[in-house]
Amino acid sequence: MTIAATAPAVVQKRRSAFSRHLTAYLFISPWILGFLFFTLGPLLFSLTMSFHDWPVVGERTFVGFDNYRTMLLEDPQFWESLWITVKFAAIYVPFNIVMSFLIALMLHHATFASGFFRTAFYLPSVISGVALVTIWSWIYSREYGLLNFMLSLVGVDGPNWLGDPGLAIVAIIIASLWGFGGTMLILLTGLKAIPKELYEAATVSGVPGWAQMLFITLPMLGPMLLFTFITSIIAAFQQLTIALLMTKGGPLGSTYFFAMYIYDNAFKYFDMGYAAAGSWVMFLIVLVLSLLVMRWSSAWVYYEGEVKGGDRNA
Amino acid sequence: MRKNTTVIAGSLAAFLLAGSVSARAEEVLRFATWDSDESLAIQQAIAKKFEEKHPGVKVQVEPYADGYDQKLVAAFGAGSPPDVMYMWNFPQYYTSLMPLDDLIARDAAEIKPDDIPQGLMNTTRVEGKTYGMPSGFTTQVVFYNKDMFKAAGVEEPKEGWTWDDLRAKAAKFRDKDNKVYGFAVDAKPDPYDFEQFLWSNGTKYISDDGKTIDGYMNSDAAAEVLDMFGDMARKEEAATLHLGDDTSGDTLFKGGKIAMFQSAMWSKAGIDAAGFGYGVAPLPKFGDKPAHSALGVSAMSIAKDAKQPDLAWEFVKFFSSPEAVAMRTNDLPVRTSVAEEKGMTSDPVYKPFFDILATSDIETHAFLKNRNWGKVQDNLARAIEATMIDQGNAKAHLDDAVKRSQRFLK
Repeated sequence: MTIAATAPAVVQKRRSAFSRHLTAYLFISPWILGFLFFTLGPLLFSLTMSFHDWPVVGERTFVGFDNYRTMLLEDPQFWESLWITVKFAAIYVPFNIVMSFLIALMLHHATFASGFFRTAFYLPSVISGVALVTIWSWIYSREYGLLNFMLSLVGVDGPNWLGDPGLAIVAIIIASLWGFGGTMLILLTGLKAIPKELYEAATVSGVPGWAQMLFITLPMLGPMLLFTFITSIIAAFQQLTIALLMTKGGPLGSTYFFAMYIYDNAFKYFDMGYAAAGSWVMFLIVLVLSLLVMRWSSAWVYYEGEVKGGDRNA
Repeated sequence: MRKNTTVIAGSLAAFLLAGSVSARAEEVLRFATWDSDESLAIQQAIAKKFEEKHPGVKVQVEPYADGYDQKLVAAFGAGSPPDVMYMWNFPQYYTSLMPLDDLIARDAAEIKPDDIPQGLMNTTRVEGKTYGMPSGFTTQVVFYNKDMFKAAGVEEPKEGWTWDDLRAKAAKFRDKDNKVYGFAVDAKPDPYDFEQFLWSNGTKYISDDGKTIDGYMNSDAAAEVLDMFGDMARKEEAATLHLGDDTSGDTLFKGGKIAMFQSAMWSKAGIDAAGFGYGVAPLPKFGDKPAHSALGVSAMSIAKDAKQPDLAWEFVKFFSSPEAVAMRTNDLPVRTSVAEEKGMTSDPVYKPFFDILATSDIETHAFLKNRNWGKVQDNLARAIEATMIDQGNAKAHLDDAVKRSQRFLK
């Protein structure tokens, strides 16, 4: 009897909870629907594709793990392009973060025209990939390029930046680093969020500047650094536009990134199943790397209110 | 703008009426082309002519331009291919295209197939069936700057000249200070066109059965061709194109930076506009072996599932009719009768294009022989580029390309 008596109240309570949540769900529904239809759907669809021989025109046949097997065991191009991407990431990621951090630090302390500098440093990030490539192609041009012209002023005979298999990847790393504005902005926001009192207290206690950097700034910036670290890794692995447009993977395949290998399999050889398998390999690599970074980060990232070194389970 | 609106309105109307039994206001025929600019304008003019002859038909010209292959494959993948389209990659698409042999035989009196050179028809065949009708074509030639030849006191090229002749002439133009060369070699040539040099030197990329590349692509004759181009770069007889620099041969030739330039019809309009006197020489020979040219053919194909196959066929026929062929001034007429009528076969500028067509019908382009050729070709392109960077050492690079490509031939 008691159940019957209380039931309407519960239902009413539930309903009001539901309607309260409904509003929230409605608000986030554009994102959820977008995610379901444009991210999760294609993601799962590509997983299906990767188990098929899937030409764009013609019959599809289920081949099980054949695409993955061929890629890992028989295709030298897979390993070559993966190695190029790993090399690129190994240089790009640390440079991107260190550079962004240093510039953010300077901007944070800038007393003069900080708005102007902030805009100037961020501007390259809003330039679309194609325009960026056009600009850098001009800079790198062997005979007429800005870079070699400047080198010639100091008596250096500039190299063929994009034509030399050893230099082309360096050229691409430099061009990619130019778009560091996004990372910089995140770190700058992080710097601004660190309470001034911490520094004041440290200064009063006679803590030197470098120690303030080491024990206040870096730990307080931890979550931001972690975030930029992971997004930089993802960006590095997905590097495509610059290589595709500036070097077309050359010279001699020295800038043939993994993303370009996938792109070619899909849109040049029309081998969609094989390309989907490549995408999933990339996804797994990035996933594993991100998990490793997350695991490792617990050693150096502090979240607000977190106490480390004591009883963690408490 | 107004034109666009009519097109959109037209297609909308067609779309709305597609399911109904009542008479349609307009029948829309979709036609996809890779051309742009002037060539596109010519095709639109031809399409207009077709509309005039077929009242109630609207031709929707879809210029896919640079991303042609990507966009076409997406259209096929999505199940809505254009009814009629430009086609070159027959092995990739032929299962989705309509075989045309029966139609050609049926309408032979109207088409007069003998008027179209066999070499051109060969580029549209897969496994013995015809999947496209040529509507325009080009062969390869050497353009030379008459003004520069005169100023340097070099004798102009003659019919039957050889690569040795070309090299001897080219060497005389080198001017370091002004960055002038006699010729240009391409580190990233289109392998499709490049095969002409192997043919001219008595070899080819791949065996005729499409199964063997070892002993073809990496034969001594093939290596000799690549090494020769590398050597020309080393001895500065030729500038090297596309080695970390996107400057095209067209730009250099139009700017008077190279005296001779190997290219095709697609360069001619630009050279005309450059405003200096130029001549056209045939491709040079290797010794006394006859020169062969690659054939660039704009062929028209019909999608297998075209909604209006009869109308599509009428359109394709019209595109290769004497009337339409005569309108195409940016490439060459596929009909011998039109070429002769226009006096092109004896005009010194056009004659070399047609002369070499006569000797270019015995070889078949590699991509028609093997479905996986696109992948093999990328390894080959890398070998060519490596040879141009090393300025030699072709045999080793070609051997490597063959080794890397073997798995695609199984």
